[in-house]
Amino acid sequence: MRDAAKYIAVLRLSARETFRARGEVFARSVFMVILLVVFSRLWAAVGEGAGLAGIGPAQFLWYLALTEWVTLGIPLFYLSIEEDVRRGDVAYRLARPVSYVWSKLAEGLGQVLVRLVVLGIVALAVGRYLAGSWPDPRALLCALPLGVLACVVLLLIQVLIGLSVFWLHDGAPAFWMIQKFQFVFGGLFWPLDIYPGWMQSIAAWTPFSAAVYGVGRNALRYEPEVALRTAMILVLWIGILGALVAWAYRRSLRVVEVGGG
Amino acid sequence: MSDLQARLTGVRGTLRFLGALVSTNLKASLALRGAFWARVFFMFVNNFIFLVMWWVFFERVDDVRGWKLADTAAVYGVAAGSFGLAVIFGNGVQYLARQIYEGDLDSVLSQPKSVLLSAITSHSEPAGWGDLFSAAVLFAVCGYVTPGLIPLCLVLCASGAILFLSTGVLISSTAFWLGNMQSISRQGFHFLVIFSVYPSTIFRGWLKVFLYSAIPAGFVTFLPVSLLREFSWLKFAAILGAAVVYAGIAVLVFTLGLRRYESGSRFGVRA
Repeated sequence: MRDAAKYIAVLRLSARETFRARGEVFARSVFMVILLVVFSRLWAAVGEGAGLAGIGPAQFLWYLALTEWVTLGIPLFYLSIEEDVRRGDVAYRLARPVSYVWSKLAEGLGQVLVRLVVLGIVALAVGRYLAGSWPDPRALLCALPLGVLACVVLLLIQVLIGLSVFWLHDGAPAFWMIQKFQFVFGGLFWPLDIYPGWMQSIAAWTPFSAAVYGVGRNALRYEPEVALRTAMILVLWIGILGALVAWAYRRSLRVVEVGGG
Repeated sequence: MSDLQARLTGVRGTLRFLGALVSTNLKASLALRGAFWARVFFMFVNNFIFLVMWWVFFERVDDVRGWKLADTAAVYGVAAGSFGLAVIFGNGVQYLARQIYEGDLDSVLSQPKSVLLSAITSHSEPAGWGDLFSAAVLFAVCGYVTPGLIPLCLVLCASGAILFLSTGVLISSTAFWLGNMQSISRQGFHFLVIFSVYPSTIFRGWLKVFLYSAIPAGFVTFLPVSLLREFSWLKFAAILGAAVVYAGIAVLVFTLGLRRYESGSRFGVRA
């Protein structure tokens, strides 16, 4: 219980810091607005033709608003761990009364929560303006907890990339690849519904399908049972990735003991 | 020595200086050979994953106001080639706002060559080579580039790189007046990439004007791709003219800002 209080303190401190350093969140908000404007033009042009899979331009736009809300909500967190490893800061942080890796995760969650609030407001305002209508409010309510769970999954993946620096010395290539898999198999720009069957099957075996498409599909249709199933899949992925982080962290401590921070 | 001769000697000296910097940066990147090739390879794959997403899209949509998958491949080719050249030769632009804000330009102020050139050529990104390889493959598969058009592709990528760097310098130079602009300048550099890789036919009205002025995406990819489809001297002159004008504005704004620069009073050695 006392441990949980320590991590919550780290989370609150990180959230406060993120709120004070607004530049990054502001830049991401602008980024989101630009993407929504670009895609509103794309869907308008597609709508002039035969359309796409029976999904209208407004639905596509709200889908993108939700997937970008989750994707842009995640900071480039692996860089923070990479810097700790490169500077050797990990070594002295080990002496603190909280686990390095879990306190980093709490720090990341603090950043994510502030971003989700700010980006959520931006997505709602710009989405409404560009789409000209609201999606089903019940579907948006379903997307809210799913978005938070999805961010925990994506953050755990970033922590894993950060820990890989102990062996690979450079997290960027792994990050690029995983980020692009997230874009493709998560259906970041367009729903997995329009993908060929074989790509949908591959996507289903990755955490990105639930973490990105699972959140975005709420803009296409309100299906509480599917949302509940998505939440369960996300919790399962949190368990798997959490265990992987714990394992990788134990292995990385051996590298610190042998080679120093 | 006449004025013209002196200028030519100055230009030659600057080019030699640039060559030496690039060669030193390349050697530094290759010192960690494994990391270098990993970055090159992953960037190459990274670019193709984006193309896969567009392939999925164009499997379901015939065209977007006449824009097809081949056009997207060509746009990605020009964008990757331009961005690759920009980060290989001038990745320092991504650190420029931080250098200005933290008073870290001191080490380049004492250099005998241009402060701006020294600052932006101080870093090279190995992943840029991955972009260049991707560009070569994308040009080959898009169907618009014949062997005779290879020199044109190189010129288009070079002018695109100048536009990328000029935009980066312009946004970063605002740090002279506005202070901490690190995050916004980095993102701004990437905004240009975002606007450059979507079908140009979706942009109309004020957005189109915006993409040929404030954000020069039109000159980086849209006009070059239409030039590859059908050559026109007018379009060619517009692309090169835009590169010269944007570079001129970037140098002017940086020079004006440099007058306001306050030293970080730091001791440091430039590697």
